[in-house]
Amino acid sequence: MTVTTDSVRSALEQGPEHGKVESHLHPAGSFDVADHEVPTGREEIWRFTPLKRLRGLHADAEFMPSATSCTWNTPEGVRVEGVSGDEARGLRGISGLVPNTRWAARVLAEVPSSLLIDVPADTEVAEPIVVELDGTDVAVTEAGHVAMRFGAHSKAVVVLNHTGSSSIAAVVEIAVGDGADVTVVSLQDWADDAVHLSHHQARVGRDATYKHAAISFGGDLVRMDANVTYDGPGGSAELLGLYFADAGQHIEHRIFADHTAPRTKSHAVYKGALQGEKAHTVWVGNVLIRKVAEGIETYEENRNLVLTDGCQADSIPNLEIETGEIEGAGHASATARFDDNQLFYLQSRGVSEAEAQRLVVHGFFNDLIRQVGVPSIEDRLLTTVEAELAKNVLKDVGSLAAFGSDD
Amino acid sequence: MAFERACALDEVRADQGLAVTLGRHEIVVARSGDEVFALDNECSHASVALSEGEVAGCQIECWLHGSMFDLRTGKPTNLPATEPVATFPIEVRGTDVYVDTETTLNGVTPA
Repeated sequence: MTVTTDSVRSALEQGPEHGKVESHLHPAGSFDVADHEVPTGREEIWRFTPLKRLRGLHADAEFMPSATSCTWNTPEGVRVEGVSGDEARGLRGISGLVPNTRWAARVLAEVPSSLLIDVPADTEVAEPIVVELDGTDVAVTEAGHVAMRFGAHSKAVVVLNHTGSSSIAAVVEIAVGDGADVTVVSLQDWADDAVHLSHHQARVGRDATYKHAAISFGGDLVRMDANVTYDGPGGSAELLGLYFADAGQHIEHRIFADHTAPRTKSHAVYKGALQGEKAHTVWVGNVLIRKVAEGIETYEENRNLVLTDGCQADSIPNLEIETGEIEGAGHASATARFDDNQLFYLQSRGVSEAEAQRLVVHGFFNDLIRQVGVPSIEDRLLTTVEAELAKNVLKDVGSLAAFGSDD
Repeated sequence: MAFERACALDEVRADQGLAVTLGRHEIVVARSGDEVFALDNECSHASVALSEGEVAGCQIECWLHGSMFDLRTGKPTNLPATEPVATFPIEVRGTDVYVDTETTLNGVTPA
């Protein structure tokens, strides 16, 4: 009988629940670690990542006691604390995450504690909840689980700030309640030797607004998967990203907006700059418009600015469409060096070549930075972009400080 | 210069490279007739082990996309690879092959 049911279902083009979509981009998940083989690097989801540099985090590296200090502030009305035992176990999968990698399955199964950020329903948190993660020992391979729960109609901003040296695999689960307005910012400002593998999974409730900003500057290898699913109609997700890769760095961002409900929105903008030998960035955008997701709107975009020779930027925007009954779907990608016309125009106005380059890079990033919506972070990003530029592109320009104070 | 024993000469097949780990380097030892060569065991294009590909005519092929590398210079002879892979000094002492992974012959920094 099963056979008949299946064939009827496929004839009607209906699937169980959201419908199973055959796709190599998002393999079926499982909580059982044994269901996931150790990746070889040939898999679609791993093909850009230099596995050798992951210190075994993708495979079977021991999750040792943490050498990364974790501190946070607790605004009124909010619960932020480390939990363990049954409570921690109960938080696994609150975002609807079913791991599709071995490492994420291991994190959920093996890490005994979770950092819980709990914002009750109808609570508006005025100040950002800032979690400072400061790594002290790169030789310690470790893993962490963060669970963020935002009640219905709550409003909050959470910042995860990563600094220092660490080899860490982290799963961050975000449950955004109906009508909530949530911003999650993850700053990867690591030291040069850090390795950071992370998966951010969000479930956006009915009519909720979710903004995720991934900002990566430091680290030897940073890979983040930022995924979104929807719990009901009307949810909106904005996925922002900004990265700056120096010589030898591998920075990889993947997003996956899985439109699991009608009339939902997703908008992704990632911008990156690369400088120095063997600076490598990867951006893979995935948007899946499921059959149920009628009337949705999506746009994904990636821009890369290659500042010097010897860099590599990979950019792949994928769009999988199971229904044509939508408002709009688009994707864009561009990778280029400086636009000669822009530089020429600025120079024709009496601006030096190096200063013209600086202005172009600032213009490139400012457009994105002002969308983050957290003033303290925006200021910091402008400073960081300046510092990154000073390392390479503008190392011959002496008068940066004077220009910086003009902004 | 620190030559270390990599393998026995007769372990190196004529048609395929042999992967050897020396310290933190993974190298591939390959032969062309009576000559033996040591290269960094990673394609400069997509991080595939060259030891899994075929050796013919003093070249080693990366099986995934078909780039060939000259065993003598480490340079790719066809696309998609564009960068050379590191080549290491090698010595045959009796029946054993010795490789020095601290220097490279073509000045390429091993991956």
